[in-house]
Amino acid sequence: MAWHRGVARGALPLLPFDATSLSALRKTHAGRPFVLAFWSVYCEPCRDEMAEWNALKRRHPSLPIELVCTDAPSERALINTFFAKYPPGPVRKWVFSDAFSERVRYAVDKTWRGELPRSYFYDTAHKPQIKSGKVDRGWIAAWVDKQQGRGR
Amino acid sequence: MVMRAVSLIVLLLAAGLALAQHAGHPAGAARVALGASVAFDVRGALWAVSSGDNHVLLRRSADAGRTWSARLPVNAVPEGIGAEGDARPKIALGPRGEVYVTWTKPLAKPYAGDIRFARSLDGGKTFSAPVTVHTDRQEITHRFDALTVTRDGKLFIAWIDKRDVAALGKRGQYRGAAVYFAVSDNQGASFRGDFKLADHSCECCRIAMLPRDDGSVLALWRHVFDPNVRDHAVGVMHADGRVGATHRVTFDAWAVDACPHHGPSLAADAAGRLHAVWFTQGTKREGVFYGRLRTDGESGVDALRRVGGDAAEHADIAAAGTRVVVVWKEFDGKRAKLRAMISDNSGDSWLERDLRATAGASDQPRIVQHNGRFLAFWNTQQEGFVTVAVQP
Repeated sequence: MAWHRGVARGALPLLPFDATSLSALRKTHAGRPFVLAFWSVYCEPCRDEMAEWNALKRRHPSLPIELVCTDAPSERALINTFFAKYPPGPVRKWVFSDAFSERVRYAVDKTWRGELPRSYFYDTAHKPQIKSGKVDRGWIAAWVDKQQGRGR
Repeated sequence: MVMRAVSLIVLLLAAGLALAQHAGHPAGAARVALGASVAFDVRGALWAVSSGDNHVLLRRSADAGRTWSARLPVNAVPEGIGAEGDARPKIALGPRGEVYVTWTKPLAKPYAGDIRFARSLDGGKTFSAPVTVHTDRQEITHRFDALTVTRDGKLFIAWIDKRDVAALGKRGQYRGAAVYFAVSDNQGASFRGDFKLADHSCECCRIAMLPRDDGSVLALWRHVFDPNVRDHAVGVMHADGRVGATHRVTFDAWAVDACPHHGPSLAADAAGRLHAVWFTQGTKREGVFYGRLRTDGESGVDALRRVGGDAAEHADIAAAGTRVVVVWKEFDGKRAKLRAMISDNSGDSWLERDLRATAGASDQPRIVQHNGRFLAFWNTQQEGFVTVAVQP
């Protein structure tokens, strides 16, 4: 509860992500695809994935990418340092705002046991393709093509 | 209405403040790090380490966790203490009451750390100044310390190390990291090392260590089999630095470039049979699993069994006589449950127990035993240290 208060200060706003956030995102992006990607400053493969989000955003600026850091808001300085070094591009950036992380993970996906990076590619019907680990660029391109084929 | 809403917010803020201060953090500071470890000494007293305000904090309980001593800082000078995911301070007790503590001190570079060690030879009253265990002093990964003491009092410390990646530089690719270790046969006054147990370990999972009767230590860790299969391997460390061959023991086919932060656990029963729990999201099976490691020269496990449901995570295992106990936690949509499964025939059949639940954040649970009495230990945000005696 106390952690939201830390988010307001600092150069880069990180939106608070909790157990209600995904249902809000589904409403925001109703009828169109979006990507929900989880990462941590402590996860090495996550670092390598930032360039993929950056490239995807450049190729498809209208595709929403919601990038959620699973660390605490108090890690903001570390998170911003990370973004400066490994820029993910103009994606929307979030941070876990609930210390009870199981509750947040469960709201996203009951079977996610916390491994990172973890990504959800929602189609227009918001049926997700779920990926553990760094996602292959070719796979992402094929997924985007498929979404565009459905009238994006 | 507005006033009521404002009062509620003030109340919530005050509650948050109280929580933060209770945990020893200034308001709005770091997430309360719940990562804790626990061990029995030879007399049956329980010792626990956790972290707060850049200190490893030691507590002792003479009554199996019903009451605890005040927190004693192990490191007098504050320094970073890794306590996220599978990282946490560790504790082990020597045969003469020595208290040994290790932790990972994060360095400025991402993923870099030093393995730190401190000891107490006066029953936990005072601790030596912390030392860095490894001789390699590059600012690279030395993380995920694991600590155990053999029956003859030798101290083994193992860790995940990326010096072999650093040595290759940009000239080549190296799968994952490596497991290195150091040994002390003088109660931690000095260490011999750095010895390499195995190339190509996973980068961010805890290492399970099991002292054996012959004075060696068996390790179980998440490996990276070619090209990126994160299944498990075992290997033997000897006190003189020699190592046995690496054997693959799990075949779940989890090909992934990810940080599971979900390492295995290992225990031996009285007959020397080896019992393991681990996590996988492989193509062969997904979830937390129990298995007996084959010791007939064949690779793999038998008595394979799924642990808990779809939300089961972070299992730990202990054994004594023919009894084997597994604990894990499992979120049910509202609460995190501490659950156990118990076998009285070395893993052939099991019964399950719900031990406790919490409606807040919690650490990975641990199971420890002393003279055949099993105790589950769980650090929770709301209830603090929870201990539960586990029996059928």
